[in-house]
Amino acid sequence: MIELLKLCGFEEREIESELPRVEKAFHRLGITAEDIELGKQRLTKYYDVELQGIRKAFRLCVREVIDSVLAREEGKKKIIFGFMIPGFETIGPVLMSKSKEVYAAHYSWAFLLVFGCIFDKMVPVLEAAEKKWLKAGAVAHCSNLKTLVGLVALDLIPRPDLMVTSGFLCETAPKTLDLLHELYDIPVCCWDTCQDRGSGDYFDDTDRAVDLAAKNLRRLVKKFQEVVGFPITDDMLWEALKARRKFDNALGRLQDLIHSSDPLPLSPTHDNLWMILSSLTFCIEDIPDAVDAVNTAYQEIQERVSKGVGAMEKGAPKVLGALFAHHSDPRLEHLAGELGIAVVVESPTSLVRYDRKRQDPYYVMSLGLGGSLSAGLTIKIPMQIETCKRMNIDGVLDRYHVGCRAVTGDALVIQNAVEKELGIPVLLLEWENFDPRVYNHEEYRRRLEVFKTMMTQKSR
Amino acid sequence: MEETRLAAHLKDRPAQLKEAKKDGVKIIGYFPGNYVPEEIIYASGAVPLCLTHGGSPQPADAALSVVPHIICPFARAQIGERLLRENPYYSMLDMLVAPITCQHLKKVAEVWEYDGDLEIFKLGIPHKYDGDFELEYYTDRLRALKDRLQTFTGNEITDESLGNAIDLYNRMRELLRKISLLRRISPSPVSALDFVKLNHASFYADPVFMVEVLESVYQELEDKQQTAETDKPRILLISPNIGNGDYAVLELVEAAGGDVVIEEICEGIRYYWYDIENKGDLFQSLTRGYLVDRVPCAFMTDSAKKRLDFALKLVKDFNVSGIIWYELLYCETYDSESYFFAEKMGERNIPMLILESDYGTAATGQLKTRIEAFFEIVKGVA
Repeated sequence: MIELLKLCGFEEREIESELPRVEKAFHRLGITAEDIELGKQRLTKYYDVELQGIRKAFRLCVREVIDSVLAREEGKKKIIFGFMIPGFETIGPVLMSKSKEVYAAHYSWAFLLVFGCIFDKMVPVLEAAEKKWLKAGAVAHCSNLKTLVGLVALDLIPRPDLMVTSGFLCETAPKTLDLLHELYDIPVCCWDTCQDRGSGDYFDDTDRAVDLAAKNLRRLVKKFQEVVGFPITDDMLWEALKARRKFDNALGRLQDLIHSSDPLPLSPTHDNLWMILSSLTFCIEDIPDAVDAVNTAYQEIQERVSKGVGAMEKGAPKVLGALFAHHSDPRLEHLAGELGIAVVVESPTSLVRYDRKRQDPYYVMSLGLGGSLSAGLTIKIPMQIETCKRMNIDGVLDRYHVGCRAVTGDALVIQNAVEKELGIPVLLLEWENFDPRVYNHEEYRRRLEVFKTMMTQKSR
Repeated sequence: MEETRLAAHLKDRPAQLKEAKKDGVKIIGYFPGNYVPEEIIYASGAVPLCLTHGGSPQPADAALSVVPHIICPFARAQIGERLLRENPYYSMLDMLVAPITCQHLKKVAEVWEYDGDLEIFKLGIPHKYDGDFELEYYTDRLRALKDRLQTFTGNEITDESLGNAIDLYNRMRELLRKISLLRRISPSPVSALDFVKLNHASFYADPVFMVEVLESVYQELEDKQQTAETDKPRILLISPNIGNGDYAVLELVEAAGGDVVIEEICEGIRYYWYDIENKGDLFQSLTRGYLVDRVPCAFMTDSAKKRLDFALKLVKDFNVSGIIWYELLYCETYDSESYFFAEKMGERNIPMLILESDYGTAATGQLKTRIEAFFEIVKGVA
């Protein structure tokens, strides 16, 4: 255990004080000595844990899982979990910084990394959900939802006093919470807007959608106030936004460095680590820790870049990893790295008109709606083509998550458009972003090899 | 008699509409689900056409060149109908009003928007159907639709023209409701298949003509209604969608000796339980009628309990002995909800059968066997 914690960036003194908590939480989660052995192997195999910055990032994720599991028994009077609700990582710190009796975190992100990527223990959680209303098979329910329902069904994480989600990415998260409310009596609330932006009046339409989201968010925060019993002021939200911005900027700088370097200095498996890290709900006073993890990684990677050291050869085909890396299983990204394919992720691009005169934190938090994930095809396609040009991309790897109809429905149209416009190959992989059972090593290896050959021939 | 008249009208309807287009009349399509007030389109002098075709595998398969299989077959059918160019209604559209409901239909609107050969108006449907901001938003969007239609058709939409349209469609809803309510008494004077077909016809026929037909049909059915003992299982059909042409389950139920006496369907057939209030601010009236008063569809927030309560009321009012839950493959919200409904119906000893369809014909034999076995259970419980 101690060795594992060291790999995850815990220092000697912290291990001494934290060990009982970690053991208690791991015991609750059913993490055995064998799992810990496997976890150590996976950490060293899939991640650059010799880099201190990487270890520090893992430490923050592990800590959030432990805090979540033990929240109730450690005296948190009010627990609020967010699920697929972008922006909760800003509101959560406000709640926790104001009262030590409140715990607020995203429900699944850190869990997916720790339980899935490190310990490879996701399957029982997913199966538990499949025995409820998210059945396995052709319907292809999103396995992030399965993670949520499985965790509730198995009682691995305490029941919250409120669970919140958003409806503007899909309707399935609110539906799942609706049923959690009906069947488990968990109080729930949803942040929403309408995704009816057209291409002709895109900016005006976005303003309208953002306005509705901002009003809606204000109502959600009132609900938080009722639960926690103290007011949440605009100043508190501004403070959190400001503190958070330091972290976001540091992370953006790190990702720019990684993506613009040749050779790629870090295996593509880390893309998921950064994504999960960005969704953690740090207390405001803990944000410097997160910034330190990212800046440490930056310095270490900068050193590699200066020496020309990389995770693969210089000149490896550069591939835009459309959408996200797998959230609970690093094997595909690892395989791509082994085959010498430099996968770089598409940073969430925002196409939104920001009215700086509007001094409203709810408005600012709602601007995330302008992200490429939620935009329509007419907006998404030019954005992706532009990204490919800007990043000098040789091919696109579109790992479309079948559980999400919003992105799945785009895949073929985007493939046709990108191939036609840029003449570069696009590999579509139909898969499940949260379910490790989809991984098929031989099939993926063959397809990635052919894909690499296509890119190499094209560049000759 | 009326059946023949309606069939003849529907046969001539594409040609009639093509003629009307020559005179400058705009044909405006919209997706079903009953979140697009056709009254506004009608008041603009345009012809509203609800795009409800579904059930046949060919259009759904044709769409696989554009979207993956994981998009629901009804949504794929919409894309496929336009790709195949065989269905005159889909080829004659001047504009689409796309209600942004679930991700599946949203994707159809996005694909058509990307194709760029059709004017598109996306109508945001707030998933929270009772919040102040959301209602205000929807009302504003209806007003924006009015403005867009006025520009597009060159016709002004006045309170009077909108009020007349509301009256016309209220009458249509009222007649469908009255016909449907006749089915509370056993045996039903009209089969579910005929009722659903009548309902589908109302989306394509001239509404004035349709009202005339419905009036006669209602009168005819009322006259012939009589009570008699029957052991036919009385079935409530719950579904996200019955497309125009997706009649396999209704036919199989009938063939197996069952009687679907009431349908709770979000899309594909017209929602007729409530009327639109024709006074005051008509856009607010439309908002209440289309969003607040009705039973929310499964994609709506906090809808499961409300929908369950409504289904239980139908079970009671229509003396239902079993429920067939007919969902389209890949529709996640309905599939999730089926578990909740089955549990709650089970607690009340109401048998429920869950069926899925991808519009493929291969599973018909299996559906038949399952329906027949289900009826044995229903009779056993009764």
